[in-house]
Amino acid sequence: MRLGLSLHEGREAEMSRLAEAHGLFGVMAGTGNPLTAIVAAVYASTATEFVRVVTRVTLGLEHPVTIAEELSILDNVNNGRTVVLVDTGELHHEEAADEVAVLREALSSRPIQHDGPKWKVPAGLPANAAAPSSISVVPKPAQLEVPFWLTGAAAREVAGSSGLPVLAREAGQADDKKLVQPGVTVITGNLKPDRDLVSAWAAAGVTHLLLELPAEGDLGTIMTLVSRHLGPEVMMPHFPRVMSESRVPLSWPGDIRR
Amino acid sequence: MRFGVGLFSLQSTAMQPSAWAGAYRDMREYAVLMEGLGYDELWLSEHHFFYDGYCPALLPAAASVLSVTERLRVGTGMLLLPMQDPQRLAAVAQDIGKRSGGRLDVGVGLGYRDIEFDGHGISRKQRLPRMLKGLDVLEAAEAAGGVSIWMGAQLVEPVKRAGLRGHPILFSAALPFERCKTLAKIWEEGWVEGGRPVASKPKLGALRNIWLTEDPREREVARDWVRASYVQYAGLGWTLPAVGEHEQADFAEETDKAIADTVETTITGSAEECIRQLREFEAIGIDHIAFRLMLDGAPRRALEPQIRRLAEEVIPPLRDKVAA
Repeated sequence: MRLGLSLHEGREAEMSRLAEAHGLFGVMAGTGNPLTAIVAAVYASTATEFVRVVTRVTLGLEHPVTIAEELSILDNVNNGRTVVLVDTGELHHEEAADEVAVLREALSSRPIQHDGPKWKVPAGLPANAAAPSSISVVPKPAQLEVPFWLTGAAAREVAGSSGLPVLAREAGQADDKKLVQPGVTVITGNLKPDRDLVSAWAAAGVTHLLLELPAEGDLGTIMTLVSRHLGPEVMMPHFPRVMSESRVPLSWPGDIRR
Repeated sequence: MRFGVGLFSLQSTAMQPSAWAGAYRDMREYAVLMEGLGYDELWLSEHHFFYDGYCPALLPAAASVLSVTERLRVGTGMLLLPMQDPQRLAAVAQDIGKRSGGRLDVGVGLGYRDIEFDGHGISRKQRLPRMLKGLDVLEAAEAAGGVSIWMGAQLVEPVKRAGLRGHPILFSAALPFERCKTLAKIWEEGWVEGGRPVASKPKLGALRNIWLTEDPREREVARDWVRASYVQYAGLGWTLPAVGEHEQADFAEETDKAIADTVETTITGSAEECIRQLREFEAIGIDHIAFRLMLDGAPRRALEPQIRRLAEEVIPPLRDKVAA
């Protein structure tokens, strides 16, 4: 299992850099205002080179083609590191499934011609007489297929029809048959309980666990706990702790890790 | 005067293919270079569903530039306001403004392509009411701080409306100087009709095709890149309607003529010649000049030296006049 970091609103660049320096797989941006999540994701993206940027998209707030266009720009800004976490928001599950379908079709490399229960794309409105019967969202994302994860009230129903993974909020919600099974949890910053916690998530079959850090405490110290103790603990079965508990070599000048 | 570079449209065209992700990386690197050279502004441009990836979402692109710079302003020239939910747009713009220290200029325009409206589920007939409603929302955001509004317009009514509402305009590079002069006057009439004193009017802006060179061969190449960059407007079906004595430029139906006329607006020559022509714009109240250099993805080996030369040889004397 790999660990990632849930970012605090307004501190995306700083925390993303730390996550990357500590070798985490990714970060989750847009946990604050759902309207501005895309901006948070951009700031996390340009501060880093390697980490995946999990971007929260709340359905029902804008036309899905507009959202797909923004996601495609994001994916080109971060050169294919985008993961979309769809929050079904207040939509009924049929509407949510339709909106997710539009998003995914728009981000594919095929033209889109969609006629569903919520959206018709292109709309085919009489006033737009010169518009063709299909469109293509361009630029295309940098990656071949943008990963989609689900969360929110209608996530389970949408997962049933789409096959997409649902972000687990408790270890017991994990589906250990999924090749990618994301989860999110809160750590305390204390070694023993946090080690037990992430081990339980790994045992449940989660593959990518995003960590919400405690509000109190020194960020650098907590990140060291994560990368030195928690990450190795769940990267292989029966991790020999001597490697994380031995004396740390002296820091090189300028190293932002401790 | 204030100086910028544009229009960053992040394309990979038939004539100049490139990786889109590379174009977004290059834009950030250009922005850092421009900031170091003392430029004030970078301008982006928007279209939708076009084969070359013409940037369809300007605010994320703007945020990417603002996130790696400290002083440079970024403007959208123009964001097609009727196609977006204005409340969300205002929230995003305010967030970017807050994160960047108020360096975002939200330039807005109407849009004209049926496909772009239809792809977003909007009737083109609704574009003006949606534009006006969107402006109401953005103006409230501007009043609250963090967002500055610009407008893109080429015709009498919208230009006057911009003046009435008090928003500066960024004129297209395709407009000849005389047409800019006519429209600047119309904008000023709107400003005054809006009950504002002439003395308090903001400076207007203009994109300008420009290439500083003393070499006749380089001049020929630069003008040919300007030509090539306007071929896309034939593909997009753009028409610049007539205004008074200024005739229509129909890029879709009279492609060669429209492009040839537009190439003639290009400022080329020595630093002295470029400065002379730019002073003419300053004299009619246009003192934001965005050098239209990106030219359909022209190569960095050509653009970077040009961005440097303009910063070193053309900008300083024009700034000195303001300082004096």
